[in-house]
Amino acid sequence: MAPLKCMEKDYPLIDSHFQSFCASHAIFSFEDFLLYDLHALIASADNHSSSNTLKQGIDQLLSVIDAKLPSLRNGLQLLQDAECNKLLLPTGFQGIDALLGGGLRAGQLTELVGLSSSGKTQACLTSASTVAKQGGSVIYFDTGNSFSPQRIADLVGQTSDYVVDNQAELGPLQRVMERIMCYSVFDIYQMFDMLQQLKINLKSKIVESDHHVQLLIIDSISSLITPILGGRGPQGHALMISAGYLLKKLADDHNIAVMVTNHMVAGEGGTSKPALGESWKSVPHIRLLLSREYDSNVCNISTLKHPSVASGRAAKYTMYL
Amino acid sequence: MEVGMLPISASKRGKLLAAGYTTLHSISRASPSHLATDIGVSEDEACEILKYASQTSALDPSIGSSNASTLEGGQTAWTMLNEEKFATRITTSCADLDNILGGGITCKEVTELGGVPGIGKTQIGIQLAVNVQIPPEYGGLGGKAIYIDTEGSFMVERVLQIAEACIEDMSEYSHHFHNTVQDCEVKLHPNGILENIFYFRVCSYTEQIALVNYLDKFIEEHKDVKIIILDSVTFHFRQDFDDMALRTRLLSEMALKLMKLARKFCLAVVLLNQVTTKYIEGSYQLTLALGDSWSHSCTNRIVLFWNGDERHAYIDKSPSLKSASAAYSVTTRGIRNSNSSCKRIKMV
Repeated sequence: MAPLKCMEKDYPLIDSHFQSFCASHAIFSFEDFLLYDLHALIASADNHSSSNTLKQGIDQLLSVIDAKLPSLRNGLQLLQDAECNKLLLPTGFQGIDALLGGGLRAGQLTELVGLSSSGKTQACLTSASTVAKQGGSVIYFDTGNSFSPQRIADLVGQTSDYVVDNQAELGPLQRVMERIMCYSVFDIYQMFDMLQQLKINLKSKIVESDHHVQLLIIDSISSLITPILGGRGPQGHALMISAGYLLKKLADDHNIAVMVTNHMVAGEGGTSKPALGESWKSVPHIRLLLSREYDSNVCNISTLKHPSVASGRAAKYTMYL
Repeated sequence: MEVGMLPISASKRGKLLAAGYTTLHSISRASPSHLATDIGVSEDEACEILKYASQTSALDPSIGSSNASTLEGGQTAWTMLNEEKFATRITTSCADLDNILGGGITCKEVTELGGVPGIGKTQIGIQLAVNVQIPPEYGGLGGKAIYIDTEGSFMVERVLQIAEACIEDMSEYSHHFHNTVQDCEVKLHPNGILENIFYFRVCSYTEQIALVNYLDKFIEEHKDVKIIILDSVTFHFRQDFDDMALRTRLLSEMALKLMKLARKFCLAVVLLNQVTTKYIEGSYQLTLALGDSWSHSCTNRIVLFWNGDERHAYIDKSPSLKSASAAYSVTTRGIRNSNSSCKRIKMV
């Protein structure tokens, strides 16, 4: 919140008289007001000549606080919300869906970690095509020019519902592919701008048509964060954590499943560990480790972190070619 | 804190936070002179901060967006699929290699080629710099090339040799497929090919990064550049780099810039890399240099290796190409198919 003098325009009760009263208690900004002992302030206002206007000013500030508080929900409301809104989205791989208990959950941030060429982008493309086939809309942030529309067309055309060769049946393929929107993002600030814009756009649309956004994929978020992480100053860390917070809030408020990919770096003893460090570990709700045996289509996936599945559980799945 | 999302320097951010401005809303309500006195910067700097803040909060809910898309600035997969059908690729002059690449090197993507010394990386780089200039009538792009040399391995005489061989092959092709005399004329001259290669020599990593930053402006002025070849991207980052964390940051930022250039100007970026050994699963194996985090800085990754006496290329990583390998050879005329004495390059 702003220093008190900037609030004067919107809240006329916070005039210069009130501001000088607050200044006498070393209160210059909204945060200072929150930290100050309220009873002591009211008592001091009583001793002033214009105590009524001062108390009105204090009430004004308190009402501003009330307006900012989110509503409290009890456990039953959360359960109903989870059952109605936070649905499971199948990824298209039976092995992964079985491991996750049905698929990706709306409202949660899932991270895929793996070495180079372990199948992360393929998993993203497959999830995008599966969700689009079922009628949901997908937003794909691509940082490495790896979004391959041809691959999506192949994946969509793989089930018996759509036959791509037939001229007459191009309609369904087009409809499905038009639900996937791909954005090229090369800069973390650009990503923030786009996420803010998305937040505003989603908030302003109360009732959406049948194509509401169900899945948001960022491939890969580590290539956006690595240039700013480390070095002098904690800005990189702060941006990384606020990115995670923004994604989780988007997921929860608008019932979207968010999927991000991360790469691996060398750890101790020659093993690899996920990139982005210790602070990022607690950000995603679900962390999955992908690996692929050399020159084969069979991939392994195991849980590193999951709220309801034991970590270390593994599954195998085959990649379609 | 929303102020953290503004692209301003750390000191200005600190001053804003110390003065009590933590959200963008609070900044946008202040006037420039007010802001300048509050945080102790000049009025120009305060105006700049306000400009950034208003750009971000100009995402006004009342403007909203049309019902067509939830977010602007992107393309649907369907439009991208249709665009892809018309994209031409840059041939490598080796039919087998072109086959595994789906026709050649794709534009809008960053392709990394890595291998042991002597495997032919620079040769492939030079061949691509010549092949990008093949005119559209012969199935090429008719564009220019930027060649960034960090090792000093660019030999002009070799480029001339390859250019002459390319022109000879083109005229041979046109003799077979065109009957009228005037169509047989190939309008290219080896000197013309040399003129269309923009050559940059960099001698340190700072020069390399500065050049990649400058390329945006350069390509704005030379819009027909269709390929950027960086030979090699590793050289200045391997020796004497004390701070590995700094190296990772610099490399990932450079990679993002190259990705952006590839997408923005629809050109191909080819990075040539060296090899190092890595301890995987109990043994030391050859992998490409610059570490695990660099492996995410390219769209496609091709490893070049020796198989007996033959040179082979293997697609290690690609979102759309199948894993396959092909053999190629380096001849006096450039990169060609191996085994066969076929001197004619396949024009599609």
